[in-house]
Amino acid sequence: MSTLEIKDLHVKVKDEPAHAEILRGVNLTVKTGEIHALMGPNGNGKSTLAETIMGNPRYLVTQGDILVDGQSLLELPVDARARAGLFLGMQYPAEIAGVTNAEFIRAAINARRPDDDQIPIMQFLKQLDATMATLEMPADMADRYLNQGFSGGEKKRNEILQLMMIQPKFALLDEIDSGLDIDALRIVAKGVNLQRGPEFGSLIITHYQRLLDYIVPDFVHVMKDGEIIETGGAELAKELEKTGYSHLKAGEPNA
Amino acid sequence: MPEFPTPSTPKIPLARYLKQVKDAGAAVTVSAPTSVTVTAGPAPTTTSTLDQWLLQDGQPVTHIEVPAGFTSETPVLLTGPATAGGLVTIHVGENAHVVLQETWKSAGTMLGVGVWLTLGAGATVSWLTYDAFAAKTALVQRTATVGADATLNWTIAGFSQNSGASLITTDLVGTGAQATVNVGVLASGAQHIGYTTAMTNRARKSVGHINQRGVITGAAHLIFNGIGHIVQGARGSDNQQENRVLMLAQKARGDANPILLIDENDVTAGHAASVTRVDKAQLYYLMSRGLSLELASRLVIRGFLEAGLAEITDPTLKQELFKTIDETLVNAYA
Repeated sequence: MSTLEIKDLHVKVKDEPAHAEILRGVNLTVKTGEIHALMGPNGNGKSTLAETIMGNPRYLVTQGDILVDGQSLLELPVDARARAGLFLGMQYPAEIAGVTNAEFIRAAINARRPDDDQIPIMQFLKQLDATMATLEMPADMADRYLNQGFSGGEKKRNEILQLMMIQPKFALLDEIDSGLDIDALRIVAKGVNLQRGPEFGSLIITHYQRLLDYIVPDFVHVMKDGEIIETGGAELAKELEKTGYSHLKAGEPNA
Repeated sequence: MPEFPTPSTPKIPLARYLKQVKDAGAAVTVSAPTSVTVTAGPAPTTTSTLDQWLLQDGQPVTHIEVPAGFTSETPVLLTGPATAGGLVTIHVGENAHVVLQETWKSAGTMLGVGVWLTLGAGATVSWLTYDAFAAKTALVQRTATVGADATLNWTIAGFSQNSGASLITTDLVGTGAQATVNVGVLASGAQHIGYTTAMTNRARKSVGHINQRGVITGAAHLIFNGIGHIVQGARGSDNQQENRVLMLAQKARGDANPILLIDENDVTAGHAASVTRVDKAQLYYLMSRGLSLELASRLVIRGFLEAGLAEITDPTLKQELFKTIDETLVNAYA
């Protein structure tokens, strides 16, 4: 079992040091085998939390720590964090021409393996074909340039394809449901559910209860003003669907 | 001897290059379907000091004649001499449909290379130019003259080691002529190279687009001039250009100079130019999957150049180009 621990995390935007902190003391522990949902109004730090855990250089940690199995990640660049077991399914995946989807995913898998033990090409292609079939993706998407000209839904599905191929310990999924029609949502959820097991933990950021009907979380957290202000089980999300966020208490400044 | 004008090549010291002594030229190698004829041809008409320089000493000119109505997807392959420059004229007959591929890996001290292509009315030409000169310096001139309703789709991959100048000139002379010129250049080491890509609309309803992408490493200097010109009378024409340069090293130098000359009112024209660094969002995305900074950078740079090389569909050539990019960048980071 592995553990991802967020301890009293305070974060600013690096280029705006004079501005207030976006995260103001976040505490959260995600263990493998658990699915956590993170909900809350727009602009309250959910994406910042995911990006900061992953190591986006845009953000500056001013206090607190991020640890995997007791080892701090703060000094590690993004690629080292990925190899340490983290994965971020992004809200806006970048488009990169000249690099095919298949070539990229293979490079990502090989980055986790020693130079003298790279994944054999046939084994890789077999695995890729099977995973794409699970996600109901057309075969030609393997040979298309990475996210280039993909629709919003295709990009999200492609994030899940990478997740399933890379098999990280912890997946941070940032609004993986936004812009998806109901069929695509069902397929994306199927992909995530297939990962569920004792070796996989996830933090799923979403605005909508709908996703959580398909991926039932073990824990639901609500973030407001850069803090987690409430934690509960799957029923909390259902409650929020009825009541909204406005009645919840605001975070205390500099708590 | 009549006085000829020197082509306009801003920031490229063409006049200085023209004072240097040209290596002797040699015949190029051509491989083509049987109905295409290859002969020793007459020298093309001299119109500039660069022509004069290229055509001096009566060096051999190879002429390729693609007959009218010719249609084939099998490319006409043209290979430059191993240790010399060369001169080629190509005429594509009316309504012919042809794929041209030229490869130059020639070595030498001061090479002169000239290719003159003429498209008859209604012809369609897909032209792929692959420059990988090993020479120290080269002056390269390629000219396309596009007739009525003819279409030229041209990609130039500049992966050479030489310094010097490359002039890429397209004249849209027939009504409804269309041309797209894509240029992808990788400059490295102490290379000092300039590209002047000109597109002139001389006829009504002609359409010409230039798209240049350059990556510069080491202490190389790359100049991109884009010259779009719509002459008076070419009503209803369109002339667009984009020049983008990516700088990878402290000592790398890049210039992107868009020039638009519009002498007609009823036209559309536009330009875009930029000198940039590696896209941080793309790097972050690739690295978030575990790719090292070095590998992620190579892939992002490849993607940048790809925008100039997208029309190259031959997988073997594409692999060779990508391999050259990777090797050049590995050396650049070492």
